[in-house]
Formats: sequence, C-alpha cells, structure tokens
Amino acid sequence: MSFDIFFSAAFILCLIGLIIRFSFWFSRTIDPSLCTIHWTRRLLSAFKGLIAVVFSSKILSILQSLFVDLLFQKRIFDKSLLRWVTHACIFFGFVLLFFTHAIGFFTFELFDYEYISTLNPSLLIRNIFGTICLLGVCLAIFRRLRSKKIRLKNAVSDWTALALVGLILVSGFLLEAAKMSSQSVYLEMVDEYGDYEDEEAEALEAYWITENGLYSPNFSGSLDEDTIALGMELNEDGSCIECHASNRNAFISRSLTGIVGPITHLIGDARSVIALRVLHLGLCLALLVWLPFSKMFHIISAPISLIITRVMKGEINDPVNGLNRQLIGLSACTHCGACTIECSSSMFYESFQNDFILPSEKVQHLKKIASGRKLPPQTLKSLQQGLYICTSCDRCTDICPSGINLRSIFLSSRYYLLEKNLTETSLLGNFSFPLALAGQYAETHLKALKNVYHLFRQQFPSLKSLTEPLSFSASTTIDTMSSTSCYSCQRCTNICPVVNSYDQPLHSLGLLPHQIIHSLGCGQLELAAGSQMIWSCTSCYLCQEHCPNNVELTDIFYRLKNLAINRIEAGETV
Amino acid sequence: MKYAFFQGCNIPARIEQYARSTQAVMAQFGVTLEEVREFNCCGYPMRNVDEKAYLLPSARNMAIAEQRKQAIAVICNCCYHSLMTARKRLAEDRQLREEINLILSREGLTYSGTAEIKHFLSILHNEIGLADITKKLRYQLTDLPLVFIQGCHVLRPREVTNFDSSFMPGICDSLLRCMGIEAIEWHGKLQCCGGALAGINDELSHEILKQRLQEAHQAGARYIVCVCSYCYLQFDNVQLKIGGAAEIIIPVLLLPQLLGLCLGLDEKQLAIRANMTVDKDDTTFLAASLKDPEQLKKKNKKRKKEAV
Repeated sequence: MSFDIFFSAAFILCLIGLIIRFSFWFSRTIDPSLCTIHWTRRLLSAFKGLIAVVFSSKILSILQSLFVDLLFQKRIFDKSLLRWVTHACIFFGFVLLFFTHAIGFFTFELFDYEYISTLNPSLLIRNIFGTICLLGVCLAIFRRLRSKKIRLKNAVSDWTALALVGLILVSGFLLEAAKMSSQSVYLEMVDEYGDYEDEEAEALEAYWITENGLYSPNFSGSLDEDTIALGMELNEDGSCIECHASNRNAFISRSLTGIVGPITHLIGDARSVIALRVLHLGLCLALLVWLPFSKMFHIISAPISLIITRVMKGEINDPVNGLNRQLIGLSACTHCGACTIECSSSMFYESFQNDFILPSEKVQHLKKIASGRKLPPQTLKSLQQGLYICTSCDRCTDICPSGINLRSIFLSSRYYLLEKNLTETSLLGNFSFPLALAGQYAETHLKALKNVYHLFRQQFPSLKSLTEPLSFSASTTIDTMSSTSCYSCQRCTNICPVVNSYDQPLHSLGLLPHQIIHSLGCGQLELAAGSQMIWSCTSCYLCQEHCPNNVELTDIFYRLKNLAINRIEAGETV
Repeated sequence: MKYAFFQGCNIPARIEQYARSTQAVMAQFGVTLEEVREFNCCGYPMRNVDEKAYLLPSARNMAIAEQRKQAIAVICNCCYHSLMTARKRLAEDRQLREEINLILSREGLTYSGTAEIKHFLSILHNEIGLADITKKLRYQLTDLPLVFIQGCHVLRPREVTNFDSSFMPGICDSLLRCMGIEAIEWHGKLQCCGGALAGINDELSHEILKQRLQEAHQAGARYIVCVCSYCYLQFDNVQLKIGGAAEIIIPVLLLPQLLGLCLGLDEKQLAIRANMTVDKDDTTFLAASLKDPEQLKKKNKKRKKEAV
C-alpha cells in the first residue's frame, strides 16, 4: 500500500520532469539569430519536419536507425570495443531486468505465463541479467578511473549515475540473498503452507540449509545424507516446489547467503529483509525521479538525437528545426567524454588549463545556459574562450555516440556568448579561419573583432598619440635581438603584400614593417605592439626571407601579437 | 613504405578530396599513408595568441610518430610549417623541451627529437623520384593553361622548412613537367593567398585574394593549382563567395588530383567534382586534355617531319 503511494509520487515527479525537459527542446535557445522565436512556432516546425519524414522514403532510415544505432549502438562499436561492451552490458542488462523483473508480472502475462519470481525462468534470468549489468557498471567505473591521463573528466553526476545503477543491482542481490537465508521468512512460509511432524520439519530445514542457502543458527538436527534426502522428498511432495525452484539457479544471490545469512541474523533477519527491500525499492524510485533531471535523460533523448542524425545527415534546412535539434542534442549528452578524448584542441587545454576547451565540458555548461541558469562572469569568460579555442575539425560531431551535432551547437553558442559583448582575444587567432569560411553570424563576428581591436588601441600608444619626439627607451624588449641588425633598407616594407594593398599604408597600418623594427631598436616596445600592422600581417614570411640582414620580422610580429594579447588578458594598462 | 599521415584539421573536415587523392596517388608508388586518430591540431591557429601553446601540439604529434616509429607525411603547408618550427625550437631550447616533455609524459609520450617530418611533395620528388613517376604515368596533360601557387609556409623561412629553394623553388614545377604541364609563370606563384587573415581582417584577406585572382586571370590561367589547404580554401571556397576577380571564376585543382589523372585514376576516386569551383565542363576539358604518351610521340614526330 505505502509502496504504491511512493511509487505514484515518484512517477508523477518523473512525468513533471520529463515535461519540463521536453519543453526546453522548444523554448530555449543558444543561437543569437533565433532568440525571439516563439515556442509554438518551434513546435510547429518540429511537427512539420516529423510529418515530412514519416511520409517519405526517409522512414526507412528511421527503421535502419532503430536497429543499427539504437539496438546495436554502432557509433560506440565503431570507436571502442571496451566502451561498446560496457554500454551494451549496462543497457541490455538493465532493460532486460526491467522487463523480466521490475514489470515481470506484466511481461509474463503478455506471453501467457504466470509470473512467480521464485521459479524459473525468473530466478535464473534475474541473476544472469543482474550479473551482466553489474559487470557493465564495473567496466564503466574502471574506464573512468583509468582514463584520467587522456583528459577525460569525471563529474559528480557520472559517479551518481553509476552508483545508483550499481547500488540497485547490489541491493537487489543482497535482498534476494537475505530472503533466501532468513530463518524467520522460512518459518513463516512453513507455518503457512506446511504441516509437518518434528522429524519431517527437521529434514526439510536440513534440505533448505544445504540446498537453498537457509541460515539456521540454532539448527540442532543432523545434516547427513539420509535426512537431506528425506527433506528433498518432502520439498518435492509438499507445496514448496510449486513456488520454489532450487535457489542454486539464482547463482549470485545463493552464493551470497553464506555471508549475508550470519550478518542479517545478527541485525535481525526479518528486519534486514524489510530494510533491504526498502533500500532496493527506494533506490529504484530515486532513479525514476532523478532520470529526467540528469544525464539519464539520454535514455529518451539520445535515441531521438541518433534518429535525427541518421535521417537528416548533415544540416537541417529549416533553421528553427536546426535549433530544436541543438537543444535535443544538448539533452542527449551523457558526458561519456568520447569527444574530449579525440578533440584536436586537447593540447591547448594542457596549455591553458581551461576545462571548457574540452568539448564534453563545454556541453555541460551550455546545458546550464540552455536551462536558463545564470553563470558567473568568470565562468562565462572561460566558457567563451573554450568555445573559441576550437579548430572546427568536426571530429567531436563525427564520433559522438549520441549523434549530437556538436559542430552547430558550438558554432551558434560561440556567437550567442559573443553577442553578450565579452571580449575574446582568441578571435585574433586562426581559429577564425573556418568560421570566416562558414560565413555565419558575420555581423556578430565583426562586432566582436571591433571590440577586441578597440581594447587593443586603448591599451597601446599609437604614433599619432605621441606628443614627444621618439627617443630611446629602456623599456623591456622581446627576447630576440635580430631587430638590432636592421639597417633600414626598407626591403621588408617594399615587398610586403599588405603594405602594397593599401593606398595610404601608414594611415591604415599605424607603422610599416621597417618602422616596427626601428621602434624596437629604440626600445619602444609598446609603440611596436600597438601598431595595426602586426594584426594585418599575413605571416607570408616574404619580409623575413628577403631581409638582407636576417631580421626575423614575421617571428617578431608573432611575439608582439602574443605580448599584446597577454597584456589585454592580464588587463594591464601601459 | 608506410608513413603516419598528418592531415591536420581543415583537410578531413573541408577538403577530404585532398587526402583521398593523395593517398590514391601515393598508393600507386607503393607508399601507404596511414591515418592516425591520435594526432591533434598542429598548433598553427594558436600562434598569434601564445607561442608555447602553439608549439606543444606539434611536439605531441611528433612524439606520437616517434612512438609509432614512423615518419610523418604532411599534406597541409601550415601543418608542415608548425611541425618544422616546433622541431627547430625544441632542438634549440632544451629547457622548453623538458617542460613540454613533462606535459607529454602524463600520457606516456616523450619527444626525443628523432621524428622525421616530410611534405608529401618531397616524398614524391626526392624519395620516389621523377624517373619512377614518369614511368608510371599513363597520360600526359598537354596544352593545359594553368598557374600554380606554392603557398608561403612550406617555403619560408627556409632555415625552418628546409623544403625547396625559397626564391627559385623547383619541386612542383618538375612534378608538373613530368605530367607534360608547363605552368604559366605569374607573379602570384610565391605570394600570399590572404588565408591567414580570414576572420581576423576579412577585407584585407579578400583584397589579397582578389589581387592573386586578377594576376591569374591576366596570365591566362584556365586553372589554378594548389598544394596548401589555406590557399585551396581561399581560391576554391572564398573565390565563389567574393564572386571571383572581375566576375570570372577560375576553377581550382589540387596537385595530387592532376597527378592522379595522369596515373590513370578515376576522376571520381580523385573527387575532382568535390572542388567547389569545378563543374562538369572543367572535368570534361581535363579528360579531353589527357593524352596517351605514344600518341604524343607520334604527333611530335609528325610535327618534326613537317618542320623538316
């Protein structure tokens, strides 16, 4: 009775959670260009898209996806056998346990069988599936513990999920073992279903002790072969066998009785059975409630994401559905870290120690942004840097086991954050090249660039702003001395394709290449680092190659760029 | 001969035909380019931002090659430049190498400095050799008016890249000559494509590209041939975006695609149509330009006779 109340409460909470998560798919945004679209319009787009697929030949792709992506989990299989085995064990173990054990009465009825949990096949398969699932959990824990060196991050929720599933299984086995070994339970059953003489009762108990793992500390009878044979006869003739197959079928629980029996006896075996039952059912209900609010939601969203990926392949024509897909994708992330392991930018993570450079970590916080949570400014800044330090190699999208289109999520969220006017110095790196090729969000990109250039001009002096004549200064210099060998022949400036692209190069570039080197010669580092020229350098190395005195111009420009970005990041003023 | 194939980030995501055609061509000479999933970015996009962060990824890539006991075959000029720069810097700066090795040791890697880095053009030119290439060629591409752009980062600075003469490079010209192609001399050959400024200063980047396109057009080029991924994406992708120079689109080809055609490989295998600027007319024209060397000999004899 009381279980029904708890179950109903948990079920309702789960439902509410699911509704909230579903509503996020159509109401939240991480795309700066699609901020104002009403959820009804988004739901309608999704519905239209769905209809268009269902009534076309693409329906075959859905069928294919059901078998290949969902049941066989090919995307995991292609990448790592260990991960595939792990996931398959947990997935199949848990699903089969759910159908044959949790709702076994219902499943069995479907096939016209009576469900009795202490008879075969239930007794046997429950232990088989439980073992498979537990093996998967152990493999997953092993993988997470082992893979620290490959930058895989373990979040609290990852451990919680594994712990919940693991504890459900362990408590289940313990509960079964406690029931098997409990003398109180045994005696109650004998009272109810049997009517034995003393000798017979003793023989039956002896049989149950040796065969079924019963723990009877006060048993005074003998355990010889004859008694046990008599017990077995009674077991088979009486009503026991109708409901009890040999507990040896439940191979895990039966072997646990040796330890569980004595321990539960100390605590009180009847009480222990109740406690374990409450624990087991409580954990199951906890998982049910936790499901929609955690990464376990992937049970629902990952299949949808996988089907969309198989059906739509690349991009979706309707940008509104593209956004819907992004939000479904975000909710399908399991934080498995497959993307992070193969991320091309992983070494930049080692240099910057910014977790957000790793794709799996970006997704965790983008999820938070999408669910409407406000992140502290420092976190936002790190997230933005992480989003920007990405080579757009698209490997993460290729390998994501949930089929999430990370490429488009990262692209639009990058600009979603840039729209909020945070300055991002990595814009001045060649990470911008693939973005310029993609040509999306061009206005936001340009605006963000202007912000950085503005900051840059504020921090460094320009030739125009100098009122005093240029003089020697003891200002710190950069660690190359090749600039001192310049004899101002201006070969660099004459050959520079950038200088040659402007009608008034000095006006547009601040300083010309030879003037930068000259400034450095005078110790005017800030002046050199403040010229627009360094940001307009195409790094073609023509100047450096043609310099008759081996001044490493292009390399010096790189150093100046590094220095300027460093200063801006450190918020220093000159 | 097996190499660890370094494709970088742009090629697998945006120029897959470059990798596929290079692998197909190299296979003809018994050279296998093995894909290595463990390789990461070469570091190049980080160079403007932080020098050390720029060097670390290349050091890791070289350490992986050392662990595999394979030389690295590179097809992207900028990746080649980054790997070679890291190699030089780490050879000169012992302290930096130790610092980087400390980071690499966390995943069981060490960079000792023995990794070999080769541009695939050097492999073709120096290891396989022009004589062997010529022997294998089934066709020649004559009367094909094209310009060739080398790309900056494979040539300069010469003491880092150690690839070819930086003022008078000859590797690509001699490879093209094997195929019967005499590339048109033009101003843009050793010049910049503007790619490094894309997304940082688009206006200037487009301006430089336009200059190159104008020069190519004035030189009478029917095709532009690239070997650098940045050059290729500028000429192929961005050219379409900015509408070419004077509204003329010059189709862009990759050198291994041409070599593949001359080796008798299928146009589809070389994925020439994956190049955005190439349409059906272009591939038909290319197919028509493929000449059997025997036929050519006869033709030449005939010409000589007539001249006599």
